[in-house]
Amino acid sequence: MKALIIDDEDLARAVVREHLAAHPDVEVAAECANGFEALKAVALHQPDLIFLDIQMPKLDGFEVLELLEAEGKRPAVVFVTAYDQHALRAFEAHAVDYLLKPFSKERFDTALAKARAQQAAHPAVPAPAASELAAAARQGKPLERVVVKDGPKVTVVHLDHLDWVQAQDDYVLLRTEGRNLLKQQTLASLETQLDSSRFIRIHRSYILNLDRLVRVEQDSKEHRDAILRDGTRLPVSRAGYQRLRELWEGD
Amino acid sequence: MHPLLASRARLGAYLLGWVPIALLLAGIARSQGWSWAEAGTLAPPLCLLAAFLFLSAWFLCRALPLGRRVETLGSHGAAWGLAAVLMGGIWAGLAWLLARALAWIPGLGALPRRVDIALPVLTGLGILLYLASVALSYLMLAQDRAVEAERRGAELQLLAQESELKALRAQLNPHFLFNSLNSLSALTAVDPARAREMCVLLSDFLRRSLGLGERRLVPLREELDLARAYLAIEQIRFGARLTLDWRIDPAADPALLPTLLLQPLVENAIKHGIAALPEGGTLVVAAEAAEGHVTLRVENPADLDVPTPQGLGLGLRQVRQRLLGRFGNRARFEAGVQNGIHRVTLVFPLETEP
Repeated sequence: MKALIIDDEDLARAVVREHLAAHPDVEVAAECANGFEALKAVALHQPDLIFLDIQMPKLDGFEVLELLEAEGKRPAVVFVTAYDQHALRAFEAHAVDYLLKPFSKERFDTALAKARAQQAAHPAVPAPAASELAAAARQGKPLERVVVKDGPKVTVVHLDHLDWVQAQDDYVLLRTEGRNLLKQQTLASLETQLDSSRFIRIHRSYILNLDRLVRVEQDSKEHRDAILRDGTRLPVSRAGYQRLRELWEGD
Repeated sequence: MHPLLASRARLGAYLLGWVPIALLLAGIARSQGWSWAEAGTLAPPLCLLAAFLFLSAWFLCRALPLGRRVETLGSHGAAWGLAAVLMGGIWAGLAWLLARALAWIPGLGALPRRVDIALPVLTGLGILLYLASVALSYLMLAQDRAVEAERRGAELQLLAQESELKALRAQLNPHFLFNSLNSLSALTAVDPARAREMCVLLSDFLRRSLGLGERRLVPLREELDLARAYLAIEQIRFGARLTLDWRIDPAADPALLPTLLLQPLVENAIKHGIAALPEGGTLVVAAEAAEGHVTLRVENPADLDVPTPQGLGLGLRQVRQRLLGRFGNRARFEAGVQNGIHRVTLVFPLETEP
């Protein structure tokens, strides 16, 4: 069984390594100090199991998981985290297991046993999407950034830099700093994760960063356009205009 | 209890206010052909009666607080009018009784007859005086409310400050604690001596932070000691990713500042600076004293991929509020990112313990 240890702290990785030493059939293929390294290492080693920290620089544990899923790779995941029980309760039913730092040898062995069991029962019950786990752990707080993987390249889009989003079948096109990025997610599911006071669904196919809006123009009786700071025109549906008006009148 | 009866000074001033009314009443009586003796004997006790009788207006006003809505003004107006007519009538009735009582005194035999004629005027006057005391009562109630609101405001502020301190103490953040304990658990196997050292550091930090939370103001020296204890632990966790650079002017050591003002700054620097960067960086804590002012600075490398936040985070906002709350416009607070360095600067007067 091949495993990866992903944690930004040396000592935290050392604990996992130490506990794994008692299980000679588990090989530690690599240790990673951040999410980018983790993505590369998963692609390279195709591990069966990853020990994944949540709070890490650049990409957090959930984002790593989300990107792995987008690639169709889903090793068994054991979260190793100092997050409190409260946040964890939200997704405890879904992850293979989680270890709360610091943990005992017995607790570690239990987690490993669960991971083995899940592997044996392959193919496992379809687990919930990583984005759902992340949303549960965020406890309703809106997303702060979106991660997009395009081949080997990972882009982290901070929502301040997101101009608008367009639906394209099962994908969303994210417009950020003059670039277009494609991400496999539906517009409806992205909409639920965004801060609804900053991002408005102005049309069946468009979500707009309110900060970019200059004005709304009425072309004809039925047709309105949103004019953005950079001059872009996006269509505004009747329902979208209603949402904009509610927001303006709410101020 | 009526506020005028509760305070001797207030009651005195109120009764004094009735003297000109008594004079006026006597004057009116004279103009109607009353003798000096008649007017002078009846007016003072009648006014004294009115003074206490019309105090009742306050209870009515308290039961009918003034709102902004016009409807309440209408329904209140009816109540005031009814009460005024009632009280005016009672007062006139008392005048009638008083006149009959005083008529036993030689020379005042004509008093009952004169009062009988003046009854409508007396009733009207009573109504007016009662309405005036309604107005006075509302003024007093408004003043009482203002004083009460001020007192409650001050109380709330005190409470808020205290709960803020408590919250600050509680903020000594559980993640930090669990991560540290996890490092400790790792060290027990690989380096028992350092594990013991970490135990000592953790205890030292906890003891200091618990002790500090009890006080409002502490010398900078103690805040720095707490930060040192905290950062010594983070140093073990982050290893080579964290470099510490202390630039402390000993002259700044005794400067008093609100408790736990520095701690959130270094915690932020670790959380958003060092921990957010794979390669980590240098954390600078600098304190200088010059010309009666202390300049306290915390610097850390910022993740350039993260957009500069538009406002201050909750932690920084609290630091700013507490600093300005203590020193007012004698203090300055600056925070921002420049050339990849996040810097928070506090400038405040150098005040020491007496």
